[in-house]
Amino acid sequence: MTEAQRETHPAHEQAEPLLELRGIRAAYGTIEVLHGVDLQVLPGTVVALLGPNGAGKSTTLQVACGLMKPSSGSVLLAGRDVTGVRAEDLARCGVTTIPEGKGIFPNLTVRENLLMATYAGASMRQVEAVAYERFTRLKERRSQLAGTLSGGEQQMLAMARGLAVDPAVLLLDELSMGLAPLVVEELYGIVGQIAKSGTSILVVEQFARTVLGVADVAAIMVNGLVRKVGTPSEIEQELSAAYLGG
Amino acid sequence: MDKFLIFTIAGLSTAAIYAIAASGLVVTYTTSGIFNFAHGAFSMMAAFMFWQVHMGWGVPTLPAFLLVVFVIGPAFGAIVERGIMRGIEGATDVVKIVVTISLMIALIGISMVIWKPDVARPVPAFFEGQKITVFNAVVNYQRLMAMLIAIAVAIGLRLIFKKTRLGVAMRAVVDDRGLLQLNGGRPSRTSMMAWALGSGMAALSGVLIASEQTLSATTLTLLFINAYAVAVVGRLRSLPGAFLGAVILGLLESYAIGYIPQDAMLGPISLQSSKNAIPAVMLFVVIMLQPQDRLRAHGVSRRSAGSKPVAQRVALVGGAAFILVVAGLGSLMSLTDLNLVTTGFYLAIVTLSLVPLTGYAGQISLAQLTFTGIGAVAMATWGANGSLLGVAIAVGVCAVVGGIVAFPALRLSGIYLALATAAFALFCSAMFFNQVDVMPGGNRQVPRLQIGPLSINSDFRQLVLLAVVFAAIGNLLVLLRRSAWGRRLTAMKDSPVACATLGLNLTSTKVGVFALSAAIAGAAGAISGRTFLADTLTLPGSLSVTMLAVVGGIGSIAGAFFGGMLLGAFPIGATIFAANAIGIFGFVAVSVKDILVFSPGMMGVSLGRDPDGAAPQIALGYRAVAHSVPALVTTAVGASVIWVLAKFDSIGNWSFFAAEMVFILAVVPLLPLLFAPTQVHGRRIATAIWLTLGVIVAALISWDSIFSSTGLRVIAIFVFLFLIARTAIGIFGVNPLDDADSEHVEPPSPDMFGIDRPLTKADALDAERALGLQDELLVLTAADSAGSLSSVGHSSPAGATS
Amino acid sequence: MNLLELESLSVRFGGHLAVSDVSMKVEGGRVSGLIGPNGAGKTTTFNAICGVVTPSSGRVSLGGKDISKIGTHKRARLGIGRTFQRLEVFSSLTVRENIQVGLEIRRSWSRRSATLPQYLADGGDPKPEDEINLILERLDLGPLAEQPVGALPTGHARLVELGRALAARPSVLLLDEPASGLDDSETDIFGDLLITLAANGLGILLVEHDVALVMRVCSHLSVLDFGQVIASGSPEEVRANEAVLSAYLGTAPAPETPEYSGIDLAGSTQEAGS
Repeated sequence: MTEAQRETHPAHEQAEPLLELRGIRAAYGTIEVLHGVDLQVLPGTVVALLGPNGAGKSTTLQVACGLMKPSSGSVLLAGRDVTGVRAEDLARCGVTTIPEGKGIFPNLTVRENLLMATYAGASMRQVEAVAYERFTRLKERRSQLAGTLSGGEQQMLAMARGLAVDPAVLLLDELSMGLAPLVVEELYGIVGQIAKSGTSILVVEQFARTVLGVADVAAIMVNGLVRKVGTPSEIEQELSAAYLGG
Repeated sequence: MDKFLIFTIAGLSTAAIYAIAASGLVVTYTTSGIFNFAHGAFSMMAAFMFWQVHMGWGVPTLPAFLLVVFVIGPAFGAIVERGIMRGIEGATDVVKIVVTISLMIALIGISMVIWKPDVARPVPAFFEGQKITVFNAVVNYQRLMAMLIAIAVAIGLRLIFKKTRLGVAMRAVVDDRGLLQLNGGRPSRTSMMAWALGSGMAALSGVLIASEQTLSATTLTLLFINAYAVAVVGRLRSLPGAFLGAVILGLLESYAIGYIPQDAMLGPISLQSSKNAIPAVMLFVVIMLQPQDRLRAHGVSRRSAGSKPVAQRVALVGGAAFILVVAGLGSLMSLTDLNLVTTGFYLAIVTLSLVPLTGYAGQISLAQLTFTGIGAVAMATWGANGSLLGVAIAVGVCAVVGGIVAFPALRLSGIYLALATAAFALFCSAMFFNQVDVMPGGNRQVPRLQIGPLSINSDFRQLVLLAVVFAAIGNLLVLLRRSAWGRRLTAMKDSPVACATLGLNLTSTKVGVFALSAAIAGAAGAISGRTFLADTLTLPGSLSVTMLAVVGGIGSIAGAFFGGMLLGAFPIGATIFAANAIGIFGFVAVSVKDILVFSPGMMGVSLGRDPDGAAPQIALGYRAVAHSVPALVTTAVGASVIWVLAKFDSIGNWSFFAAEMVFILAVVPLLPLLFAPTQVHGRRIATAIWLTLGVIVAALISWDSIFSSTGLRVIAIFVFLFLIARTAIGIFGVNPLDDADSEHVEPPSPDMFGIDRPLTKADALDAERALGLQDELLVLTAADSAGSLSSVGHSSPAGATS
Repeated sequence: MNLLELESLSVRFGGHLAVSDVSMKVEGGRVSGLIGPNGAGKTTTFNAICGVVTPSSGRVSLGGKDISKIGTHKRARLGIGRTFQRLEVFSSLTVRENIQVGLEIRRSWSRRSATLPQYLADGGDPKPEDEINLILERLDLGPLAEQPVGALPTGHARLVELGRALAARPSVLLLDEPASGLDDSETDIFGDLLITLAANGLGILLVEHDVALVMRVCSHLSVLDFGQVIASGSPEEVRANEAVLSAYLGTAPAPETPEYSGIDLAGSTQEAGS
């Protein structure tokens, strides 16, 4: 099926992904957790990376954002090899990452959290304008410690940062972790809007069905390998088996 | 009332200086997780630097003040962070503590070299000593200024940490270093700035006190160590807590001076110097009040394969051989040499006491020499005739005291145990060793042992006794390591939480091993048969013990011996080379003696370059020697041969020195490689021939006739030995020291990978448009290296809704 | 009989309720499972059971005795053993020594000479040496006995943790993802081992992401989500439970979580409680 599709769409062989992982292997100490992951994020698309716990989804994202150095393979950003580039340099090059859990500094106030977003290039005025316009609640709570916000508000704050710096690539890790489904749905509504504005998004998620609603492409990871890539509807059929052992 | 006011104001002005120093400490600790024991030494250096700039170079007060506080201090902190501290992030508590302690010792040494202690360096008070009168109390401007500056610092720090991006980033680093990176911040630069800030505060406190204190490296450093107690009030993390602590300590000290009469006695204890003990007592009390640390299960690093314990048979044979060699060599030595070697041996037993505590259990103590002193005093009191009963009592007393001292801190993390033991060392030198009953005239002679009919009545017998005790304790420790208890200690070091879930009472186990360690240190004092001076049983002394024990190689008996001998050897070297000054800069005169003064500290600091290998380059080689029997034998034989040649006047003194130096510093560290059975592929024979030649040449050159001055001779010898060692490594073809650094590759910068401005959504949209992705189906292709399926249909993103 | 019982256990980290009002029973002689998505509070529940974290409210009891207030090592002495999600092996010791330490620690506090539990062997109190060999054999670690644990792959290191815990002769064993790092055939063997251990009297509480394994070995399952038990029952019941499917896959609304309800993410001015 791979070969067949390739042949029917020869025009896209030169299609250059904005972010691409090629044959990524990565290990914690001596334990290899990624055994050659290939993944592409084309410009302006949302790619959902799904899979059970321990499959290596988060590790894949860690490699993509530069926090973890792969033992082999390469990371390409707009066609350039950026393997081994520091996370802060990637962040300044337009790759914004909202990591697993709460992508916030709990002991900093809301405003101070937003101040940190200015490292990626946006001015504080710009960041605040975008963040408070979108999430008025954050404005009310700007001098409150981020750690005292509710889970949903914390995730909003993290998203606000992602929005404000206007990134080319947005990497999202377990956006839904510890949040009620309603909140998650709202959050994914925002992800959809960000995607519409042209940002390419790679989202790692366990909360499978919600993310499939906004994704253009979905991939299933199991045991350190991308087992299947397909449209959300194709992937949805496989999910139950991958998660609950069918 | 006036008196109270006067002492209150005096106390508050001291508090101001403590508060400034402690804030600096808190800033570095919270941002880097490294408790900087050298912080006090930073302050001390700044006080001297201020003298140098102001008095030495004649720069007016204000520019000198600004230069030291805003330029030199911060620059120094930044360099220390870059050069040393960055390397020990993520290292164990023990390594962190030992590296900063080493830095402190090195700085004290360096400052003594630059600013010779024998010259008085008065710094005039600011504002020419002008005073004003407040409610009948006379306050000089300088003290007023200190208080105002402290307030300014409090406000300034608040502003920095709340309002500036850099300050907020410093707090962000503590919360989540990785997240700051993902924000585009640079944690490494932020940490460097935090150290610069902390060091600037240290400099400020040092400059403020420069005119009020006699400038002495050790005294000033110890004074600022009081600020550590202050910082503990805020759990080392809270600035308001540190300020509160500073006020408490400043006032307590001031009232103690004002209200405790000079001749006050508490029972038999003279309270004369109780002021000096207040910080230690306060530190101890505050630690006792801390709530118990939570156990944490955060996963064990499984890189360390760990060294296998030495076989008991090897330890027994090694111990016996050691005693024989010592006895043989000792019989050849002159009286002065015997004295020097005996010192080294007794110190070797003290460092040996850290093997179970630090080597096996991963805990730390900064008061080993204090326990030695207590053992010595107990022996002198209860074993005046040299009876073994006296030794037993001394050992028992030390074990009990050790257990009591360690108990409160053992509930907490490693840094608190270090601080508690440091407080104990300070307390004992302020309140115990200076009591007339304890050390009349500031010293105490420990009687030599009388074991049944055998009397240790000569220096030679004393030397052999120490060798026997060292070998015996060493063997017992090997036995211990191989016992159930030893395994348990190792297990506890690896994973405390796992031990607790198996039913192990962590606190009592730690108290037990601490008591054992204190007991061994006490035994060293009890059998040392020497005169102890109160002045040597101080905190810096104990710090050196711990530092060199770790430098020597804390996990092994041989490492402890090496550390102890180093500890003994450096002062000896300093005495031998007392007079050889070599001028380098206008105001610096470096002599061989001085190099020896600070080189042990530098060795400890170098642990930071490679904390996993955990040894400065030289110790790396020596530690391997400890694991290789042929290397050990060759070392002993080689050193003895050279010694014997010298003894029978076959070679001159300088040739002996040169040959011995080349042998010990160039040949010995390479021996393990030469004898390594596998893995290392090098030109062994060629290297061995080269090294032998080197030693022979060193012994044949008549150094004293070629070089007229002693200093030149020593330099020539060091250069020669460096050449021999370096070339030997070259011949061998494998540099054993390179392995550790080879992995380090600087990541490419944005300029190098070709993205010259941040990519924006616009770029993505352009690309999208260029590729015509809007409406049609497209295919993702991916290399299929692992058999994964990788092709997909795709629809327009605009259609996606939930 | 109920060996281990949790009653309304809650654990709070600052403002975050990691475990909320969890009640659960672990019976002797069978494997109970605790499953749930990432961050659901499974490991925190384990930590609260063995005293590594302090619950903010609720009760843990073992054999009817309240153990909520006593320290970790005392709970271990009463019969709670565990393994860790992130390995806590003694990496500088060998496989044999790891188990030996577990045994020696037990011998240091267990004064009466307890007989070997049935799940290890058929009666008798063997010599320590034999007991270690027995455990090594049961876990198939014999060939690796002299290897330093630091050099083992994760799967084997997890078995070492299990062996070490068994050496303390627990009555309840908490296993935190013991099968991650094992390959398929090793997992099968491991599942059999758990079944045998339980059949001979050991109470096991298993946290595991390999759902196939969980479904096979557990006779009872509890499902945690947002720190709450959202379902419990036999594996078949749980598999069919709609709330469980949604917890894993995120479709149907989850149970009421007042803490988060009604947050206005879109920035409307509507009143919200949190």
